[in-house]
Amino acid sequence: MSFPTIEFAALFAVVFVLSWALMPHPSAWRPFILAASYFFYGWVDWRWVLLLIASSVVNTFASQVIARSPSQVARKRALVAAIVFDLGLLAVFKYLGFFVSELDEALDSIGLGSPLPLVQIVLPIGISFFTFQAITYVVDVYRGVTPAASLVEVAILQAFFPHIVAGPIVRANELLPQLRTPRDPRSVLAGPAIFLIVGGIVKKTVVADELARRVVDPVYSDPSAHSASELLLAFYGFAAQIYCDFSGYTDMAIGLALLLGYQLPQNFNRPYLALSLREFWRRWHMTLSRWLRDYLYIPLGGNRGGRLRTYRNLMITMLLGGLWHGAAWTFVLWGGIHGAALSAERWARERFAGFRLPAWAAWLLTFHVVCVAWVFFRAPDLATAFDVLGGLGLGGPSPLVTLPLVLLVVASVAIQALPQGWWREAEAWLVARPVALQGLAAGAVIVVSDAALGQQGVAPFIYYQF
Amino acid sequence: MPAGRVLGVIWIALTVAALFNSEALVRAGEGMRPGPTRDIVLSVGRPIDDVAGAIGLHLPRDGLDLAFGQEEKTAPGTELERGSNAILRRNRQKDERQSFAQPTPGHPLRVLVTGDSQAEFLGQRLIDQSPPGLLEVETVARNGTGLTNPAFFNWEVNARQEVAARDLDAVVMAIGDNDGFNVQAPDGSLYNPGDPGWETELARRVAVVSSVLSSNGERPVYWVPPPTARDPKFNEIFAIQNRAVERATQAVPALRYVDVYSTLAKGRYSDELTIDGKRVLARQPDGIHFTREGAVAPVRLILDAMAEDFPALRGR
Repeated sequence: MSFPTIEFAALFAVVFVLSWALMPHPSAWRPFILAASYFFYGWVDWRWVLLLIASSVVNTFASQVIARSPSQVARKRALVAAIVFDLGLLAVFKYLGFFVSELDEALDSIGLGSPLPLVQIVLPIGISFFTFQAITYVVDVYRGVTPAASLVEVAILQAFFPHIVAGPIVRANELLPQLRTPRDPRSVLAGPAIFLIVGGIVKKTVVADELARRVVDPVYSDPSAHSASELLLAFYGFAAQIYCDFSGYTDMAIGLALLLGYQLPQNFNRPYLALSLREFWRRWHMTLSRWLRDYLYIPLGGNRGGRLRTYRNLMITMLLGGLWHGAAWTFVLWGGIHGAALSAERWARERFAGFRLPAWAAWLLTFHVVCVAWVFFRAPDLATAFDVLGGLGLGGPSPLVTLPLVLLVVASVAIQALPQGWWREAEAWLVARPVALQGLAAGAVIVVSDAALGQQGVAPFIYYQF
Repeated sequence: MPAGRVLGVIWIALTVAALFNSEALVRAGEGMRPGPTRDIVLSVGRPIDDVAGAIGLHLPRDGLDLAFGQEEKTAPGTELERGSNAILRRNRQKDERQSFAQPTPGHPLRVLVTGDSQAEFLGQRLIDQSPPGLLEVETVARNGTGLTNPAFFNWEVNARQEVAARDLDAVVMAIGDNDGFNVQAPDGSLYNPGDPGWETELARRVAVVSSVLSSNGERPVYWVPPPTARDPKFNEIFAIQNRAVERATQAVPALRYVDVYSTLAKGRYSDELTIDGKRVLARQPDGIHFTREGAVAPVRLILDAMAEDFPALRGR
């Protein structure tokens, strides 16, 4: 089930009422919110819920062993077993087909024929998110960062419907304490919540889907048929599209959780204002960045083993971060570009200590490295990505380049430069209005967003496929 | 803010959205698969739409649609819903193969690839499988649409808009994956898939839409009904759809049937196909849609059909 749909609106209206009604009774609220989350998740295919339950059971069991066993060896074995199980799920459902096909091709290329069966596996939606979430939980229990939780709590931690499909990736110590304390129905953070939800709808429907339909999809479908200016618009357009698509989803997720009384971590902080790649990753998909940092980069050694080891760790982290997005060489290359750029940036910072690029140049460089990497992220294959980049210098007619689309791209980047205080003031202003006016305003935005979409309806969120 | 007041905001927002978007609400219901969700949405949406229409609440949305350049994809009284079977009478012109202007690198063939979600990869692969410089392909996939539900998406209306907006030399139409539902013929009869009347009604609808797409024979239309599916239940329906399209070709000038149903893997379903000596995973997990790699096989059949009208496309 997707957020901006009739089905979800109806579900949420019911869940909102029942959730607050049951809130004073945790023994009733927990099964209720879990059932609602499973209903949400299993809407397309109920069998995926079984997978989710299996993941919760295994990780709960492992965490209980870790918490209770006096033996360090047993604790470590339980941790390793849980991680192997979690990564195994990802390996089977997400990567098996890719690796078998690559291996088959490799064997064929050295004359051994094509002996392996091609594997056809349905990718359960959100699997990358809920497995990473499970790993954070068991690792945090092992590290003593969070106490072991009950099966129901772990299940809610993984399945809580606002974040299950595409994050944010929540840590146990961020959500479990909230689950244990009934929320106060007298102080719902409605202002930020409504702003986030309505803003998310606008980002998705008015910007992301519009850019996808009018320029990005046609250009990436056949780059050779488009002029340099159309390719350039698609080049910047996808940067705007993916930001509005993914941050729009996250805004809605955080806003919906807020309406139920729960705070999820921030996932985006005006990423296109970053003046370096390092800063970009502190602003873009922040919950994945910190996951990669805390559960991969630092365990690999981080920057503790000298310069070369640091570069190696950065590359490994970003390559795996790329692969996390999808089983394709385009994602690996996307991660590789970021890894190489982060390493180069680090080298330059040490080599030219004291020298700083002017802010405008640093911004320009960072933004364009990010945009070039997005080309590989968006393209269906490497050849298309190189066609897009290679065609940026060609002329020709440009019917896709229209002023509204250019303004949409510019606005979606420029709006990030608005002072954050303005948004907070607007939220405070909205909350101070009468309920009817707030409802009318939110309803009006939904009407306008739906009109912007037209009859084709909302396209699936980009991150649903990961 | 207290939860009760938040609930008020949510209800007012949803009520405003439902009232001013009532037509979209009904259309969304019409587009859902038969089942309780669709029934609930329509049973709630239709009365709201009646009330909203009666008191003029459609006007703001109509204005917004105009401002955003949105085109209406449904209309009352179209031939698709109200026409007659006379359109299926054999057309004598069909006996003579029309000739069309041949493409050259200076004047490539302008092709629209459209239909349901199956059209997406077919359009993408048509570009890289055709001789360089001879095709200019635009792909417009209308996901979730079909011919059996014009109350949700009327392909006759859409076809008129598509051909009016472009200067086309040929059209590839790939559709049928969402059509396993009952249909109402113009005389009011209701047919289920499998009824003889269902095939006739579908053939009639193919004839109506293809006549519009071809502008009555000005340009060829290559109609690609669904391939074999993994699920035998779908296969029964897909076989009828293929027959319906073949039947419509007898009546509509310039309508060509591209048979991917009985030709690929000799009519047997297979997840994989061998293309250029290499095995590829040809179908998506749903057992119906082609993968990007697998779409090469049907695209070559489409190009073969196109080469009958445009010999320059031979020998790719």
